[in-house]
Amino acid sequence: MCSSFRVQVIERDAAIPYNLQLLRLLHESGGAVAEDKSEDVGRMIQKDIYCEVWKAASVQAKWCVCSVCGGHSPRVHACLHCIHFACYQGHIQEHATATQHNLVVDVEQGQVLCMGCGDYVYDSEVRRIALACKEKSRRSLGLDTEYRAWAPDAVEMTLLQAHPKRRRPTPNSTIGNTCFMSCIIQALTHTPLLRDYFLSDRHVCQFNNDSSRCLVCEIARLFQEFYSGNKAPLILHKLLHLIWTHARHLAGYEQQDAHEFFIAALDVLHRHCQGNPPSNGDSTHTCSCIIDQIFTGGLQSDVVCQACNGVSTTIDPFWDISLDLGPCPYSTSKTDKTVPTSLADCLDRFTRPEHLGSSAKIKCNGCQSYQESTKQLTMKKLPIVCSFHLKRFEHSNRLHKKISTFISFPEHLDMTPFMSTRRNNNNNHNGITAHPTDINNRYSLFAVVNHVGSLDAGHYTAFVRQHRDQWYKCDDHMITRATIQDVLQSEGRYWSMTEGFLEHGGYCLASVVVAGLNSMLAGAHRNQGNWYLVILQV
Amino acid sequence: MSDRSIQLKNSVNLKLVETGEKERLKDMLRQRLTECGWRDELKEHAKDIVRERGLQKVTVDELVKEITPKGRQLVPDAVKRELLAEIKKFLSAQSQ
Repeated sequence: MCSSFRVQVIERDAAIPYNLQLLRLLHESGGAVAEDKSEDVGRMIQKDIYCEVWKAASVQAKWCVCSVCGGHSPRVHACLHCIHFACYQGHIQEHATATQHNLVVDVEQGQVLCMGCGDYVYDSEVRRIALACKEKSRRSLGLDTEYRAWAPDAVEMTLLQAHPKRRRPTPNSTIGNTCFMSCIIQALTHTPLLRDYFLSDRHVCQFNNDSSRCLVCEIARLFQEFYSGNKAPLILHKLLHLIWTHARHLAGYEQQDAHEFFIAALDVLHRHCQGNPPSNGDSTHTCSCIIDQIFTGGLQSDVVCQACNGVSTTIDPFWDISLDLGPCPYSTSKTDKTVPTSLADCLDRFTRPEHLGSSAKIKCNGCQSYQESTKQLTMKKLPIVCSFHLKRFEHSNRLHKKISTFISFPEHLDMTPFMSTRRNNNNNHNGITAHPTDINNRYSLFAVVNHVGSLDAGHYTAFVRQHRDQWYKCDDHMITRATIQDVLQSEGRYWSMTEGFLEHGGYCLASVVVAGLNSMLAGAHRNQGNWYLVILQV
Repeated sequence: MSDRSIQLKNSVNLKLVETGEKERLKDMLRQRLTECGWRDELKEHAKDIVRERGLQKVTVDELVKEITPKGRQLVPDAVKRELLAEIKKFLSAQSQ
């Protein structure tokens, strides 16, 4: 690496972009660049490398080709001593040997290469200029800021080195029977996108002067405390009070349903966020608040009239998917009598066409009469964080019971088979596995909320993931290390003795290309490399 | 490659650069590769090589030579298909 390489930017005329009027390169091994040539360097980086204006693109197309082979070969380099473009497959090297022009710049990346020492030169100033030019050129093309993986700067590096220990989740203290809340809060605080949103302080409170009434502000405060490194349990009394105020049906000290709390919390958060609600009030959800960006998906419901085969399609937003367990009560076919034993089984059942029966005739728009019909639900749009709710509590007539079947769920889930596009082309579910996986529909597990005990006396615990594969079990104020096996087989390991079960889980989308998602969100998301899903069980 | 196909390739490239479409495609490709974990995986691989050889003893050229076969092999077919479809779409829009 060239340690003797220096770049100096001298600011002479602020009117010229990036104050790049003069770049002076001093290089020992490559021979100094004459000062009158140094202007070229600035010009090349600006115009040829990252053309800022539309017009410059044609200049680039004309000049940034290998002058020897004439083609658009990859990795074209430009000589910094004279005007010469050549490819890296040997021609730029020939030029350097022949003329002793040792400094060249890669026109794609903006990196300077020194032929003298045979490697690229890393100079922070050149890099800064190159990035600034690139950014401007991207904007002129209408592209968003380029995603770049986070790299710690000097200060952050010192901090990381000084604190080698990584934090465990902060426990929550419970008041009364509020373990339902504590579990959901653990799951929410470990939702990567929410974390990034709150830790980067993006919330703008809409309660002027009275942020104590805003649930989002309270959650933001919790996130700060949660990730502050303070080991003392958090007491959620303020949050509880806010929930009581804004979702009155949850008020009181009794044990509540964690799923109900989850939905109520999302609802209050959504109302307190400053999103742009859908203006025309229709069901196509376009709200831009953080909750809707992360949790809202679209469920397509196709009702097919048995008489005329007319299809009426509606798309409804959803925050979570409630999955039925136990044998299907209405079905007639033999295959449907089997009890689902895995999440995939449940989803398969959820997206299967269902005969609505003779007692539930629906008016068909096609034939204008009341007819028997079938209904099929499919995923039109997947949310970034997908929450599944296993309906373990069965309420039928006078009978209330908890279904205790063990439902297995994977660490990584592919939602492709349940998408509208897939299901509608292929009503025969045997063919599902034959299709290639769409990488955009992959989820990975990041939180599981479990209910232990019976219907009227039970306890909630949660498993949450930190980083890529660190799992923790959160039991109110007790936080213990867990493995992925503990999580996936929680029934076998933890619950068999206490007759507990998995109830509710969450997954977060593996990779997201959601329209309207801003670049910060998308960036943060991709940054994780792999993906998340939250399961809630109630 | 025949002269004609080289010529064709060059003129396609010219169009792509002139219109800024090349940057857009590259951006899309970069995004997809990041999303599917390709970038992370290759980065780890490169880090391993650098660690093994020592930071001062490895040049960009050597690194490129070493990781290229793995990099090519790891690109998901879906990404290749999407890129090809985008290029075709662009060209057919241009030729109209």
